[in-house]
Amino acid sequence: MKALLKTKGFREFLRVLLALAIGLSLGFIITCFVSKDPLASYKAFLFGPLSQLNRIGDWLEESTTLVFLGLAVAIVFSAKQFYIGVEGQMILAALVSGVVVLYAPFPPAIRIVLAFAAGSLMGFIWGVVPAYVKAYLNASELVSSLMMNTIALKLFEYLLSTYLQLPKVSGIMSELFPKEVRLVSFIPNLPFLAETRALWEKQTSVTVMVYVAIAAVLVAYLLLYKTPFGYELRMVGSNNKFARYGGVNVKRIIMLAITTSGLFAGLAGVHVALGIHHRIVLNMSAGLGFEGVNIAILAFNNPLIVPFASLLYGYLRAGADVMERTTDVSRELVTIVQAAVLLLITAERLLPVIQQRVTTQDDEEHLQEKGEANVA
Amino acid sequence: MSLELVIRSIFSTFFLASVIRICTPIILPAMGGLFATAAGTFNMALEGIMLWGAFTGVFVSAYTGNVWLAVLCGILVGILVSMILAVFHLEYGVNLVLGGLAINLFSSGGTVFLMYTLIGEKGNTSILPSLSVPNVAIPIIKDIPILGEILSGHPVFTYLAFFMVFVAYIVMFRTRFGTHVRAVGENPEAATTLGINVKKVRYFAIGISGALSALGGMSLSMAYLQMFQRDMSAGRGWIALAAVNLGARHPIGTLAAAMIFGLADAVANQLGSLNIPSQLVQIIPYATTIIALAVYAVQQKTAAIARMKKFQEAHFEDIKAHGETAD
Repeated sequence: MKALLKTKGFREFLRVLLALAIGLSLGFIITCFVSKDPLASYKAFLFGPLSQLNRIGDWLEESTTLVFLGLAVAIVFSAKQFYIGVEGQMILAALVSGVVVLYAPFPPAIRIVLAFAAGSLMGFIWGVVPAYVKAYLNASELVSSLMMNTIALKLFEYLLSTYLQLPKVSGIMSELFPKEVRLVSFIPNLPFLAETRALWEKQTSVTVMVYVAIAAVLVAYLLLYKTPFGYELRMVGSNNKFARYGGVNVKRIIMLAITTSGLFAGLAGVHVALGIHHRIVLNMSAGLGFEGVNIAILAFNNPLIVPFASLLYGYLRAGADVMERTTDVSRELVTIVQAAVLLLITAERLLPVIQQRVTTQDDEEHLQEKGEANVA
Repeated sequence: MSLELVIRSIFSTFFLASVIRICTPIILPAMGGLFATAAGTFNMALEGIMLWGAFTGVFVSAYTGNVWLAVLCGILVGILVSMILAVFHLEYGVNLVLGGLAINLFSSGGTVFLMYTLIGEKGNTSILPSLSVPNVAIPIIKDIPILGEILSGHPVFTYLAFFMVFVAYIVMFRTRFGTHVRAVGENPEAATTLGINVKKVRYFAIGISGALSALGGMSLSMAYLQMFQRDMSAGRGWIALAAVNLGARHPIGTLAAAMIFGLADAVANQLGSLNIPSQLVQIIPYATTIIALAVYAVQQKTAAIARMKKFQEAHFEDIKAHGETAD
């Protein structure tokens, strides 16, 4: 146990657990104030996603989107670029991939592949402006990416309502994607799985995007930890000046870090369009804007931890949804919990209790040993 | 409406008055952000604090019927929320950007959560009989033909905003506190050696930014509109931060930058009456911000290079004059 406590990873893990526990307790206290039946409400929040198969499906779908967003942010944060324009990249990628699926004059399979390519490319392109002004002009990527988000949302709204809007519908949405371009279920079409597959297909719409997400995690991990580019990117992140003296082309790395993360944000958009809504609708990115930041922080910018953080926050989001639909507490509770967790995890000097105790114990032992040695 | 009419309306008194009106919710948080930035604690949370100010103002005024009590409560809540950021940053080492994002998340979610809990609505508070602050007719100016139409009759917050620019200038450059703020921002170690309590100064600077952002939020919900809408600050807090950057951390420069955004926004509103789609027109202020940031960054860079060259040249001349060898 003590050996475990000495490893940094384990201590950080405990810190995250503690932060989550405090965040969720805070959520419960708030629920107690606002709900007529706080226990039932919080039960719906904490266990709701597991109560029905379709809710488990919602959880997995939500988590898949979050994985892509988390990876995108983890990459830019690894280079210590405070770029938070993931939402804009995602929403425009969703639009572009939807247009390809609807109108490209190709057979369905090729259309789907093209939609993926176009979506991630769109994410890449939308990152170019903030990346350039940061890397080459040294203008704050933070402000410019926030501005790009708003611009993307307005552009999305304009293009959708002007060119894709279904006539005679009150909501702003495009037509449904044709059946043949729907992504298939994530359960393989095998004889002995037929029943499960039918059940899942009927109640949920979890698609092969799950596997794409897993592949994306591996790609992001290899990119960051097993390639020269990833090495340089992390070097820029840990010490910009040192990297420059070491001969790293810092500008190029910053440029590429932001645009590459757009590829992943673009995939999130593709998933939202092709995997979840099956059409382009207004507000499809609702509330997802900063989710990537939450996940990257929870995962310490490590792509391999991103899926777990995504499953966790996907679970809480799905739970909040169930809570809102079945009780008198609004789903925004989850945002408050997440904000608290974000603050607590990033608080370097808070919750270091565990670390301190281990080190002081060590010191005491050293002193004791020394003392014994002296006596001897 | 033809282009001619639009251009004519841009040169009308109404247009100039609308620029002033639109600027108000940017100038107030920008002056707050100015203090925080000058003290070296870039406050990302302006956007969220504006929401809390707007929210509190509406609810307190609706429930008590007292506008000024509502404004006071809004300011206090703004300070309170900014103190969360201050404590987590100054005491527990939270990164300012991430802490700011956390506060924004908390504000966006928290205001909607409370709105739903209190009145069962998630979009806006139009069902509440909330109040707005009175408009002020300036005694003599209001009777001057053109000037009166432009300058008189705005909500209290507008005059407060411009007055705050003046106050910020005086405080920043003519008082002990202002000197301390700038010293702490410039070089915290040196400030410490001089006996300045860095932490305390930063607490005050962040608190000021909270109070002014809350006022900015209330100028949205108690003057611009007469209700609270979810996420109604709509990026103004971030534009205010950009204004601080562009204004070179000087009250007058920040005011000028904020006015440019107000101008872009007002032009966008006018163009909206043409057949140009409103969404495209609404992009203008945000695009302006990016362009302005880029231009400013280039300017800074050329200025730095010019300074370096000048220094080098001076150095070479020095060497020539003294006949030293540059080894």
